[in-house]
Amino acid sequence: MKLELGRIYIKDIQFGNKTHVNNGTLIVNSQELIDKLKEDERVKDVKVDIARPGEKVRIIPVKDVIEPRVKIEGKGHGFAGVTSKTEQLGEGKVNVLYGAAVVTVGDIVGFQEGVIDMWGEGAKWTPFSKTCNLVVDITPIEGLQPHNHEAAVRIAGLKAAEYLGEAGRNVEPEEVLTYEIGTHTEEEAKYPDLPKVAYVEMLISQGLLHDGYIYGVNSQNILPTLLHPNEELDNAVISGNCVAACDKITTYQHQNNSVILDLYAQHGKTINFMGVILTPELTTLEGKFRTCDYTVKLCKMLGVDGVIISEEGYGNPDSDLLMICKRLEKENIKTVLITDECSGWDGMSQPLADTAKEAVAVVSTGNVSHVVTLPPADKVVGNAAAIATLAGGWEGSLEADGTIKCELNAVIGATSEIGYHNCTVNLY
Amino acid sequence: MNYRIVTNNPSVKEVYKDIIFVNGTFLDVLINVRDLVHKGHELISHPLGSSIRTMYSPYRSIIVRNKTNEINKDHIEVIENSIYSYKNTMQRRKPDAVNSKDYAMLDLNLLKSALDEFKSIYDY
Repeated sequence: MKLELGRIYIKDIQFGNKTHVNNGTLIVNSQELIDKLKEDERVKDVKVDIARPGEKVRIIPVKDVIEPRVKIEGKGHGFAGVTSKTEQLGEGKVNVLYGAAVVTVGDIVGFQEGVIDMWGEGAKWTPFSKTCNLVVDITPIEGLQPHNHEAAVRIAGLKAAEYLGEAGRNVEPEEVLTYEIGTHTEEEAKYPDLPKVAYVEMLISQGLLHDGYIYGVNSQNILPTLLHPNEELDNAVISGNCVAACDKITTYQHQNNSVILDLYAQHGKTINFMGVILTPELTTLEGKFRTCDYTVKLCKMLGVDGVIISEEGYGNPDSDLLMICKRLEKENIKTVLITDECSGWDGMSQPLADTAKEAVAVVSTGNVSHVVTLPPADKVVGNAAAIATLAGGWEGSLEADGTIKCELNAVIGATSEIGYHNCTVNLY
Repeated sequence: MNYRIVTNNPSVKEVYKDIIFVNGTFLDVLINVRDLVHKGHELISHPLGSSIRTMYSPYRSIIVRNKTNEINKDHIEVIENSIYSYKNTMQRRKPDAVNSKDYAMLDLNLLKSALDEFKSIYDY
């Protein structure tokens, strides 16, 4: 499979009469976008706003972040299987509005957090303070059930990204990145001496506000499945969860999965990258045993020497992470785990809900309990009342001038377990 | 019916009959489940949720299998680890009482998903 991602660098977003890209600025006809999103009868009202890097703007409560793109050659329009008919993804040419992002905001439940600060201390902790964000705030019709509300906001974000992406259709990209890996037989013939490595990406798959989708299929209903890495880079994986703000993998992060990109960079040099196994994190213990066994079986069938495993969320998924690790190590397949830690304000507590002696190579992506101080914003996009949720939880967390103390777990993508950020933990 | 739901969620009480209702906190539910696991009940659903925010929930529902004559040591480890992890996460936090209605709704929905996952295999 060969996929070319052409980057059109976006340095600013502005509203205007016609949606197009003009010399690095994405101009958006907001009314046209709103009209398009209101075609969904579940959507009562849509507000759109712009948040640029450096502005004293706080976006809250964020549901998802999506990168706007358009496929200019090959199959699969928008998000195949979701916003358009299903197609085999992973091949062709895609133009990416690189530096732009759609951020969806929607109060589905009162305790939803998920903050993006575009400036200052808060900006340090989230990668989406560096993107030019078009914020889409969805108000649903009255009486909509929570799962329909979640779906409406999810689909609206994807449609908005698809709409903006169209603006890049006829723009010459500044940079073209090519991702190509052939069949296992071809790659093994090319690199007979390189160790074979697979990537196991775990997805929260547990029901309302805790779902992930592959080609539009809810991952709760699948056995672990093998993807060519290009499929994920080509919009096949979509986030449907919005409760684990710090360690949810946004759709944007699936589209730009850093583990996949890093493994690609090593393919043919130090490793033979054999593919991505998407593994659901289920609720029941039997379900966990089944998916973990099945994941290990897929790894064995591929004949891999090593596996990188990334987690999503915290709590019961820790069990899956370590079960997969233990089972693979028992089969003499080496593992590297990527996870964040919940190790208390001082960083001294046991970091995961589960432990295993086989987990000897673990990459930490940060302590979710780390406390950060966020000064008041000039402008809040979304629902200002959600700040109380963000600040709630302990005394002294909201100061008189509006300064908030919160834990990193409230910040979108702060401790991303696929490493799409800059945070780790040092041992002293 | 080969299972029971241990819960402190009043919304669950309204919908399901096969429950052991705990008049208490999330932690009380965990402790109740721990005692059952030590007596020979197995865990069907994991005691914890999959995100930090679900730890702040005032309500929790956990599915356990009916009592057997064998004690499952792995499940004892899971529930004991879960209690440690819960206390660790909640060190300085209080359960989020302000949003208790939404948490009750979420807990009920996640329980339904877990039961669907479980029933598709065991409800014979």
